[in-house]
Amino acid sequence: MFDFPIFAMPLFGHRFIFAFDAIVHVFVSHAAVGGSIVLALAQYFAIKNNDRKFDELTYKILFTLFILATAVGALTGIGIWVHVNIINPAAIGALLRVFFWKWFVEWIVFNVEMILLLMFFLTWKSKPIGTPAKAGHFKLVVGYAVASWLTMAIITAILGFQMTPGNWLASEFPAKPDYLASLMNPSWLPSLGFRTFFAIIWASAGAIALSWFYGGDDLETREKGIRFFSKILYLSIIPMLGFGYWYYLQFPQAAKDLFVLGVITRRLAANPQLAVQVTLGLVTLVVVSSAYLFLRPKKAPMLAALALILGSGALIGEFERVREFVRKPYIIYGYMYANGIRVQDMPLLNKEGYLKQAVFLPPELRQITPENKVKVGEYLYLFECRYCHTVNGINSVKTRVKGWDEPTIYHRIGQLNSPATPYMPPFAGTDEERAALAAYLVTLNADSKN
Amino acid sequence: MQFNFIPNDIPLPIPTGGLEAVDVVLTVLLVVAWLVHILFINVLLGASTGSVYFNKRGARENNPVFDRVAYLLTTPVTVCENMGALWGVAPLLLVSVMFTPLFYAATIMNSPQWLHIIYGNIAAFLLSYLYKYTWHKLEHRKSLHLAIGTAAVALFLTLPLVFMATVQLYLTPTTWTGNTHFWDALFRADTFFRLVHFYLASFAVTGLFMMIYGTAKRKSDDEVTRQAGDVLVNTGKSWFLLPTLLNLFAGPLVLFQFPSYGIENFFNAGWFWLIILGVAAILGAAYLTVKDFFNPELSKGKLWSIVGLAFVTVLSMATLRHGMRLSLTSEAMAQAKTQSDEFVARSKTASDEAKTAPKAVAVATVSAGEAAAGKQGCLACHAVDQKLVGPAYKEVAKRGYTEQQIVDLIYTPKPSNWPDFAVPMPPQTQVPKAEAALIAQWISGLK
Repeated sequence: MFDFPIFAMPLFGHRFIFAFDAIVHVFVSHAAVGGSIVLALAQYFAIKNNDRKFDELTYKILFTLFILATAVGALTGIGIWVHVNIINPAAIGALLRVFFWKWFVEWIVFNVEMILLLMFFLTWKSKPIGTPAKAGHFKLVVGYAVASWLTMAIITAILGFQMTPGNWLASEFPAKPDYLASLMNPSWLPSLGFRTFFAIIWASAGAIALSWFYGGDDLETREKGIRFFSKILYLSIIPMLGFGYWYYLQFPQAAKDLFVLGVITRRLAANPQLAVQVTLGLVTLVVVSSAYLFLRPKKAPMLAALALILGSGALIGEFERVREFVRKPYIIYGYMYANGIRVQDMPLLNKEGYLKQAVFLPPELRQITPENKVKVGEYLYLFECRYCHTVNGINSVKTRVKGWDEPTIYHRIGQLNSPATPYMPPFAGTDEERAALAAYLVTLNADSKN
Repeated sequence: MQFNFIPNDIPLPIPTGGLEAVDVVLTVLLVVAWLVHILFINVLLGASTGSVYFNKRGARENNPVFDRVAYLLTTPVTVCENMGALWGVAPLLLVSVMFTPLFYAATIMNSPQWLHIIYGNIAAFLLSYLYKYTWHKLEHRKSLHLAIGTAAVALFLTLPLVFMATVQLYLTPTTWTGNTHFWDALFRADTFFRLVHFYLASFAVTGLFMMIYGTAKRKSDDEVTRQAGDVLVNTGKSWFLLPTLLNLFAGPLVLFQFPSYGIENFFNAGWFWLIILGVAAILGAAYLTVKDFFNPELSKGKLWSIVGLAFVTVLSMATLRHGMRLSLTSEAMAQAKTQSDEFVARSKTASDEAKTAPKAVAVATVSAGEAAAGKQGCLACHAVDQKLVGPAYKEVAKRGYTEQQIVDLIYTPKPSNWPDFAVPMPPQTQVPKAEAALIAQWISGLK
């Protein structure tokens, strides 16, 4: 069994701590990749027109991007990996072995990106606009943009692989990965195109808002900035939608069926129309605020700039949530369940039991007895359920089983992957272990009954 | 040697293409990338401390040269924090692939504290940027500025605690229990001595860096910067010497805190020659520094001799460190591999059996309605004659609904009809019309 020591994040749960780091990373990294392209265009424009003020505005935007990208973006990127490493080591262990050399290449490109960014940023002041040195300096940002896009290209391949691994396994036992097939998985290119353009849109939205702030009293510069970045934003919408549709077509049908639930959470499942309403509402917010800023750049209030950031940020958050949600019950589609159990190990675990394979289990709990049944059940909860649930915090299992008696819980555990909860992996283990898990879960609400 | 708690290895091959040469490449990459990472981190810790120290001295003595030294040190801090983090990724990647069971187990035991390397680092980065980019703005509010700088340094200095606890833990699987945690690992003698050795080395390496950096700054067009260069070179000498001498005592303490089987393997494999080489080279570097300690002119030739000798030491230390890693982990890794190979083989047998086993019997005895109820997930919560999450279907049938009413209730449940149940039934919109009709027919037929 590929289990590791147990770390269970109390109250917040694994999903939350991971999502926190990941969503921060998504915001900053897409701003950095899109920003590198947007900044290169802005520099080209400033140099071509020898526009000192626009150049200054570009520097201020770069400064913000530099702080965010290096302090928050790079570290939360490493953070994604560090979080998965403690949350789902079996999954990241598998991904690392399939994608090792691609990751290694990504690291080299990341080096180039970081060095060019450092050089571009730290030498800006010594290469002022209007001097011949500026042209050489401009090449740094072009290189930076190319390198940062390449890092995105490789990471996107890994995300695409998790959803649509394609025919990556040349053999089941012992598993031989087909490294080329894993890279060229069906959703890689469409999702890369989709992400490229939404990153440009997101960075443009950020640059528009920053033009508003840094423009200050200089309304001419503010107008110039807002108009320039708005044009980039508008031009990217059609390609983003095109790639987005192509990307959508790649999802497995079971994943497509979960889209609505992915937007609105299980709690609101009774009102599926909310999914469309929320999305359309956010799109409207983005359209209205960006149009206002574009048409009346000198007049538009700060609220419009904030609404643009908020609306587009929320849409990105929604997309990432849906993408993560619809992959369930898998973490690598068809290969490994969200709780780190490989699909192909299910028959063995159902036959011999989970406990027999578990390494980090106190030896006295390997045999289920009437006395240790509840304790064993708690370990089974930790082994199989803690990946998504907490006991009494977010997605609390205590609330899920409230009001159920032990036979009901036992029955329900046997049906986890049914169409009632298609996003849950099946329970892995013997009948006796299933009963032990039920015995533990029923104790969670024991006190509230009296 | 038998280890009580060793996770299985990941059941996928290490991506060497089966070539032994690639294994060697991975090892060289690990040693080199790790060394580069550590050198950046050494200078990060030393230079950020040095910057705050000279900033404070400059303010107290009203000395613009010290202030300049402090400001000059912020550039290597920016470069080293970024490059240090970046070059930490490669060793992390390599150790994660080459020593997966041990390294992952240790990081998990040390969680959630392990996440400090992300969040503590982000906070330290932001504080160090704040410190650097408010240098002129806070010129007249020095105590605030120093407080920001001190907070950044203090945070940076906490990161090695988490790293070292994890490194020591993964190298020594003999110490694992079912319940080992971060604080157990942190407050161990081996972790303590390694931290002492590491912090001292950070200042020694920064001392060398200051000598190089100061020599470069001596050529500046600016008078104050030139004087700052002198200060850097002189400070560098003592920062290099003192910690280096102390580390001659800390080093053996580090070595002999490892489990005896590791030390035995280490000596038997001949790795100790690298200790001798490293100590000899660093003594040479220290001797050259002492000789010119009071000589304000440190010639280029002498400077690079010192740095070259010290580089021999760090390179041999980085290599022997890998030797110790192998000495400590080879047996545990072999056990992990045996365990997982055996598991995969059993899993294959079970999976083959399941594939060839005859499918569950008696499809004919199940009515079309009951089959649809199973397929659509109804039976996750309902049973025919047992109260589960929802009422038994026989109870539903007793209420005498028409088939159309039951179909409607599938799509729009009315939990108010069943006040005794804790979970309200969600609308089952995924059920196709035709199957809903079959299910309704089946339920109403249950008596």
